[in-house]
Amino acid sequence: MKKVTKRAFAVLLLAALVVAGMGVYLFRLVTDGGDWAAFYANDSVYTNGVLNRGSVTDRNGVVLASAGEDAFHYADDSTVRRACLHVVGDLDGNIGTSVLSIFRDRFIDYSFFTGTTTKGGAMKLTVDAEVSAAAYDALNGHRGTVLVYNYRTGEVLCMVSTPGWDPEQGITFDVSDPAYEGAFINRAVSSTFTPGSVFKLVTVAAALETMPDFWQKTYTCEGSDIIGGQKINCAGHHGTLTVEQGLACSCNVVFGHLGAELGGALISQYAEKFGLTTAHALNADIPTAAGSVPAAENAGDAAWEAIGQYRDLVNPYAFLRFMGAIANGGKVVEPSILYGKSNGSEQLMSAATAQTLSELMSYNVQYEYGPSNYPGLDLHAKTGTAEVGDGTSHAWFAGFITNENAPYAFVVMAERAGSGYGVAAPIANTVLQKAVSVSGN
Amino acid sequence: MQLDIVTLIFGQASGTLANISRYILPLVGLAIVTRCVRSMLRERYEPETWAYLYLAGNVMIPLRHWECILGRARSVDGQVDDPSVERMHACLIRSPRGDWTVYNLGRGETYVNGEPVQPGGAAIQDADVLTLGQVSARFVDLTEEERSALLKYRHAPGRRVRPGVTMLLLTVFQILLLLQQLTYNPGAGIGVAMAFGILATAQWSYFAVVRITGQTGFEPEILALFLSTVGMSVAASKTPDDMLKYIILFVVSLGLFVFMCLWIRDLKRVKSVRLYAFFAAVILLAVTLVLAPERNGARSWLEFGSFTIQPSEFVKVLYIYAGAATLDRLFVNRNLIFYIGFSAACVGLLALMGDFGTALVFFVTFLVISFMRSGNFATVFLAVAGAVLGVMLVVTVKPHVVARFETWGHVWEDIYGAGYQQVRAMSAAASGGLFGQGAGNGWLVDIYAAETDMVFAVICEEMGLITGLCCVGSLLALAGFVVKNASSGRSSYFVIAGAATMSMMLVQVILNVYGTMDILPFTGVTFPFASVGGSSLIACWMLLAFVKGADMRANASFAVKRPERFSGGVGVDDDGYDAGGYEGGHYDGDGYDDDGYDGDGYDGYYYPGGRG
Repeated sequence: MKKVTKRAFAVLLLAALVVAGMGVYLFRLVTDGGDWAAFYANDSVYTNGVLNRGSVTDRNGVVLASAGEDAFHYADDSTVRRACLHVVGDLDGNIGTSVLSIFRDRFIDYSFFTGTTTKGGAMKLTVDAEVSAAAYDALNGHRGTVLVYNYRTGEVLCMVSTPGWDPEQGITFDVSDPAYEGAFINRAVSSTFTPGSVFKLVTVAAALETMPDFWQKTYTCEGSDIIGGQKINCAGHHGTLTVEQGLACSCNVVFGHLGAELGGALISQYAEKFGLTTAHALNADIPTAAGSVPAAENAGDAAWEAIGQYRDLVNPYAFLRFMGAIANGGKVVEPSILYGKSNGSEQLMSAATAQTLSELMSYNVQYEYGPSNYPGLDLHAKTGTAEVGDGTSHAWFAGFITNENAPYAFVVMAERAGSGYGVAAPIANTVLQKAVSVSGN
Repeated sequence: MQLDIVTLIFGQASGTLANISRYILPLVGLAIVTRCVRSMLRERYEPETWAYLYLAGNVMIPLRHWECILGRARSVDGQVDDPSVERMHACLIRSPRGDWTVYNLGRGETYVNGEPVQPGGAAIQDADVLTLGQVSARFVDLTEEERSALLKYRHAPGRRVRPGVTMLLLTVFQILLLLQQLTYNPGAGIGVAMAFGILATAQWSYFAVVRITGQTGFEPEILALFLSTVGMSVAASKTPDDMLKYIILFVVSLGLFVFMCLWIRDLKRVKSVRLYAFFAAVILLAVTLVLAPERNGARSWLEFGSFTIQPSEFVKVLYIYAGAATLDRLFVNRNLIFYIGFSAACVGLLALMGDFGTALVFFVTFLVISFMRSGNFATVFLAVAGAVLGVMLVVTVKPHVVARFETWGHVWEDIYGAGYQQVRAMSAAASGGLFGQGAGNGWLVDIYAAETDMVFAVICEEMGLITGLCCVGSLLALAGFVVKNASSGRSSYFVIAGAATMSMMLVQVILNVYGTMDILPFTGVTFPFASVGGSSLIACWMLLAFVKGADMRANASFAVKRPERFSGGVGVDDDGYDAGGYEGGHYDGDGYDDDGYDGDGYDGYYYPGGRG
C-alpha cells in the first residue's frame, strides 16, 4: 500500500508541468503581450481592423495621428503628415520601424495589468512637427534624411526620411516608380550609406589619439597622389597642409596618407569604438541598421577607407550618436523619440578627444565653410560628398551647434544629390534655424 | 418617457457597477480558490486504524489500510525488522465486509496460530497469532465500537475554513458574473439570469443535503462548482439564448456525481462490475468509430438529431473505473498485461477516430495508472515505445495532426491560416489584462471552438488572467489533495483512481491551455469543467467522485463509508449521520462468502504460489 501511495506523486510531476508551462506563458505574456493585444483582430481596440482608440502628438501637442470610434486620422497639415510619416508610421504597418508599428501597445494603452483600456493611449513624441516640416521642405524632393536631436537630453526633434507619401491619402503611387524608391524605409534608422568625407572625423580621431606628432604633421597636396600604388584624387590643389587644415578643406591627399600610416585595421577599430558598425535600438525597440567599415589590408585601400570611401557604409542614426558624443564631452546621451523617456548614455571617447574634435569642427566652419552662411549658429560641422561610383554622390553635412538653449546635433544626408557643402549644408542651416527659433532663441 | 429615464438611470448605474465588479470578480475567485487550498492544506490527514499487530515487547504495528504489506523492507506498511523475515513477506487484506485474510508473498514462511498459510491465503481473526519467519505477533482486529471510539481523535474538516462561507463567496462570484453578463452581453436576458439562478439553487440544495447528513468536506465540489460557473459564463457569452440545455446538463452532472459517490462507497460493488466497464469502454469507442460522421478530420461525435454526444468523454470515466485496482490484483502480471491491452485498444480506437488529443490524454493517464500499478519501469518503457510508434502512425496517417505540429511555435507567421485561432486567442487573452474586459464583453468567443478548445483564453479575456490562473490553480489544488490523501487511503483502488483522475485532468489542462497559447501543438482538448460541452461536463463531474472517494479525512466525504455509529459509542459527535446506506453493521462472523463474493476467483485475488 505504501508503495502505491508513494507513486501517487506521479501526479505532482504533471502538476509541475502545468506550473512550468504557466511560467512560460506568463513570461511570454509579459514580453510579448503588447504585440498580441495590438494585433489587428483584437476587436477590443479595432473596429473592422482599424484602430479605434489612442493618439500620438508631437512635443507641443500637435496631433500626428488619432483614432476615434468612426475614423483614424493623421496630422491636419499635409507637410507635417509627410514629414512625420516615418516616425509615426501608418495603420497598415507599412513602416516597420515606426511608432505605430513598434509601440502600438502604447498607442492602445496596453499594460500587463489592465490589458487594453477603454480610453486608449495618449502618446507624446519628442519630435517637433514644425521643425520636421521645415526639414521635409528643405530636402526639396531629394531622397534623404534629416536628423536633429538634443545632445544633452536625447530628445529627437526631427527624424525625416524622404521620399514618403501622405498617409491620409494612402498609397496612391506605383511602388515601382523610382521616385518612390525606398519610400517604406526610414533612411535615418534602416539604411546605410557611403559616408565620404564625414568619415574623416573618425580618421582624425584615430590619428589624434595614436600619433604623437599629430600637430606637427604636414602633407603636400598637388591635386592627387599615388598612395600604396593607388591614385587618390583630391577636389583641390591644396599645397602644404597641416592635418587640421586638411580636415577643413577635406583634403583627400592628407587623409589618404594618414590612412596609409594608421592602417585599415586601426581605422575600423575606431569606427567600431564610435558605434558606427553596431546595430542600435532607438528607445530599446526600434532597431537600426549596423554600418560596416571593413579593415583595408593594404596602404592603398586604407587610404580610401580613411576618406570614407572603399567599402565604408554608415547609418545616419549611428552617425548622429557620434556627433552627439563629440558635442557632449565624449558621452553620448542615447536619443529618444518618446517624450519623457530617457535611454541612458554611453562614453564613446575621452573628453579630451571630444574637445579637440569639437575645435577642429568649429575650425572647419570658421575657415572653410564660412560662419556667415550659418547666421546665429555656433556651428561645428563636417561636410561629406560620397562618391557612389556612377558619377553621383551623396551629400552629407553632420555636426552640432552649441547655442545656449539649443544644444542640437544633426545629420543631413541627401542621396545622389551633389556636394555636402552645396546641397546638405544649406538644408542643415534651414532646419537648424527653425529649430533654434522654435526653442525660443 | 418616465420609464425611459428610469431605464437610463438603471442602465448607467448597472454600467458603473459592472465596471467596478470587473475588478472585484477575479479577487472573489481568488478568495474562493485560496480558501479551498488553505482548507485542504491545513486540515489534518489522519490515517484510520483498522487493526493492530503486537510484537514481543509490546511493539505495536497499526494497520492503517485495508491492504497492508508486512516485511523487512522500509517501503512496506508494517515493518518487521528481523533477518528471518523477507523484505516483502506477507500481505494482510481486509475485505469490504471486514474480514481479514493473510497471504504469503515471498519464499518465507507464514503461520496463523501455528498453521502454515496455504497458497490460497488464510483467514485471520482477532487474537490470532501471526508468525512471519521467526517473529510472532498477535493480531488485534478492532470492532466497530472500538473504531467508533477512535473516531473522536480524528478531526473533521471545515472547522478552520468554513465551507459555508466559501459557498457564499461562490454565490457572490456568480452574482457578479450575472451582473456583468446582463450589462455587457447584448444577448443576455432572462434565460441567462434563470440559468445562474438554477445553478445557485442546485449547488445550495446539494450543500444543504450533504451538510445535514454530517459531511463537512466540500473543497473538491466547490472548486468544481467554481470551474463550472466560469464555464457557464462562457456559455452565456457564446449562446445566451441556449442556456436551458447547459443548465439541464449541469443538473444532470451534479446528479451523476452524487450517484457515483454513493456507488463507490462499496468497494465490493465497484469491483463486481469492473469487467463490464472494460467492455463498455471498448464497445462505446468502436461504435463511435463506425457510426460517427467525420467532422474536422475526426470521428468523435455521435449525432442524434440536434443532440450530439462525445462518447470518448464517458469512456474516460469507464477507463479509470476499470483501470484502478486493489492491491491484491497488482501482484499478478497477467492483470497488468490485460490492462495494457485494454489501454492499447482505447488509445488505438481514439487514434483511428482521429481524436489525437484525447488519445494523448488517455495515453498519459495510462502511464500514470500503469506506473502506480506496477512501478516497473521496464513495463512502462515498453508501453512508451509502443505508444511512440503509434503516435508516429497517427501523425503519418492524419494530415490535420501533421498540420498542427507544423504550425506549432509559428502561429504568428500564419495568422490567416493554421495559426488563425491561436493568434486571436493570445491577442484576446492579453487584451484582458489581470482583471478582464468583463463577462460577456469579449469577442474571442465568436471564433470557432473558442468556448471549448480555447476556453482559457476566453476566461482571460473576459474574466482576467487572475481568474484564468484560479481555474488552473483549482485543478492543481485537487491534484495536491489527491496526493495528500493517498497516504491514508483504505484501498489502493481509490488511491489509483484519484491519482488517475487528476492526472487525466492535468493533462487536459496542459494540452488545452498550452495548445491555445502555442506552447504546445494545438490538439483541441477540453478544459475540465470550464469548457462548454455536455459530454465533457458530465464526465468531469463523474470523475470528481474518484477525488471524493480518496478523501479520507473524518466525516469529509459521503463517497467514503464511515464506521457504524453506535449509540453507546464514546465521544462520537451526534451529527445526524444517516447510516441507512451502510451494509456492514450486521457482521455475522461466518466468513465472507455469504453472497458468492470472490468465490469464483474472477475477481482475481491472487493466491501466491498457487495456480501454478
